[in-house]
Amino acid sequence: MLKKILFKDSRNLQFIFATAGALIGLTALLLSLQLIMDVQSFHSNEEELFGPNSVVIQKKVTKLTSIGMNSTEFSPEDIKSLEDKEFITDVAPFESADFKVGISEVEGDGLPHFYADMFFQAIPNRFMDINVDWDWNEESEFIPIVLPRDFIMIINYGFAQSQGMNQISEELLMAARLTIYIDGNGKKTEMIGRVVGFSHKISSILVPEPFLKHANGIYGNGKIKNPSRIFITTKDNSYGELDELMNEMNLDINKSAIDVAKIKTIIAVVIGIFGIASVLIMLLSLLGFVQYSQLVLSKASYEIKTLLRLGYSIQSIVNTFIKQLSITFGIITISAITIMFFVKIVAVNTWLEENGINIEGSSLTTTLIVAILCFGLFIVSNYLNIKKTVNKLGDA
Amino acid sequence: MLLEFKNVMPFPLKDYQHDETSVWKAGFSLEFPKKVLLNASSGKGKSTFVSTVYGLRKDYTGTVLLDGKPIDTLSIHEWIELRRTKLSAIFQDLQLFPELNVWENLLLKNQLTAHKTESEIEAMLVTLGIGDKKFQQCATLSLGQQQRVAIIRALLQPFELLLMDEPFSHLDEGNATIALELIRSETDLNGGGFVLTTLGSHHGFNYDHELKL
Repeated sequence: MLKKILFKDSRNLQFIFATAGALIGLTALLLSLQLIMDVQSFHSNEEELFGPNSVVIQKKVTKLTSIGMNSTEFSPEDIKSLEDKEFITDVAPFESADFKVGISEVEGDGLPHFYADMFFQAIPNRFMDINVDWDWNEESEFIPIVLPRDFIMIINYGFAQSQGMNQISEELLMAARLTIYIDGNGKKTEMIGRVVGFSHKISSILVPEPFLKHANGIYGNGKIKNPSRIFITTKDNSYGELDELMNEMNLDINKSAIDVAKIKTIIAVVIGIFGIASVLIMLLSLLGFVQYSQLVLSKASYEIKTLLRLGYSIQSIVNTFIKQLSITFGIITISAITIMFFVKIVAVNTWLEENGINIEGSSLTTTLIVAILCFGLFIVSNYLNIKKTVNKLGDA
Repeated sequence: MLLEFKNVMPFPLKDYQHDETSVWKAGFSLEFPKKVLLNASSGKGKSTFVSTVYGLRKDYTGTVLLDGKPIDTLSIHEWIELRRTKLSAIFQDLQLFPELNVWENLLLKNQLTAHKTESEIEAMLVTLGIGDKKFQQCATLSLGQQQRVAIIRALLQPFELLLMDEPFSHLDEGNATIALELIRSETDLNGGGFVLTTLGSHHGFNYDHELKL
């Protein structure tokens, strides 16, 4: 009966607008939140779209470099200045083998006969973009090697065909042992190596850092002092600074790494704008709802006053309001979650799949918690507002 | 219940020439249960008196005391408790809920106090001649019928003091007498008293005390 008295005029246009506003706002908020989390969980092969932004930088080779007038080495001062850049969070020079390297097949392991001169480089483990067994010590059976993915393409679709060789699958290459010839500091040795993986990001032939340090100590000629390639990790959305740095230091950076940085920055900005807009919509709709409850209160001011005169407690009146508003906003919250879920499953996921993008479904928990928090925020703000108004009417 | 007025003067009445015997000048102290008549012509402050004692108006100087306690120190929660257990009122503007029917208006009060059974309430409706209006929306009742609903509603709670602001203004003398008889018997049943304000007619009522404005 209290509900009948207090909400007698509430089914009007203002109520419909306030309800629609809150529903749209909450749906937009939940959907953008869910999409942001989906994008963050997005994995393109091994590289995370929103993972650490690691790029390899090197100085451009110019005419002057070729005639020995200019060096592509990074001096200790160069490295220091990189470390000082605010947007760079990590700097690690490539370590290079200071000796000659050659490889050939191990007979009977299935590879055709070949011999090639090579080089080795090493980077700290934290920059490895693939997950491989990368441990090495002096007792190890073989030296793990990571090749650039392009390498096997060149072998199979260029080299092998022109030489009349059989093409080699990744699996075969990884199963076969390789003979490694090392020559430097007046010493020669042979070791066994094995390809353990292929990297997209690093166009170099990588071996574990401990091995290279060990080998350089024994076979090093002492010629290489400064590194010529450096790994850096940048903060998210720092494409602008990276671009500036490239021009400043005359750097050469893998085009695709730059593109990824650029795309990441653009996506982050777009999602950020979408997120801010949703929060604004949400706040507006909350405001609309508080105004709606204010409207109901002012329309029911005679009823509230009379109920207080009859002996009804403030709390029982406030509870009647809150109960009714909880039901209304509860329905809105559940509807918003349902709509969000359907839009995500039916529209967004389908669209992504059609475009060949697979998103590892991120969990709904956070979104649900945010929805419940919004519900709580709404109830608390209305509770305080209603209690204040009813108290005021009681004192009048 | 002890009701006292000490130098009470409502702001709207302060420029008015009051008699020496007026409660606004002389003040009073009344220990209920008592049946009190407050007789005055229009504009002398009958409704102001009822609203002030019921805690709805605070625009006065002086002190009103209930059981020795100044009423302007009572919190809204204390007022609500008083209005549920000790103090009842019939307002001049009745204060019914027009969108509810007669029965709903009455239950709204009785659900709060659980003072009467449904059959007792029905008997009251019959006594006052509106037994057939039980499910009629209050907005569609005549003023006299609404007045009788408001009278019954005021009786659906325990009280030590019932304040009545011209409760029979829209009733004929016959119906007024019946209503007053019902009020009197319910008041005695509660062991309480009342203050009846009228414009002149005593409705054949033998009062214990008379207040003047």
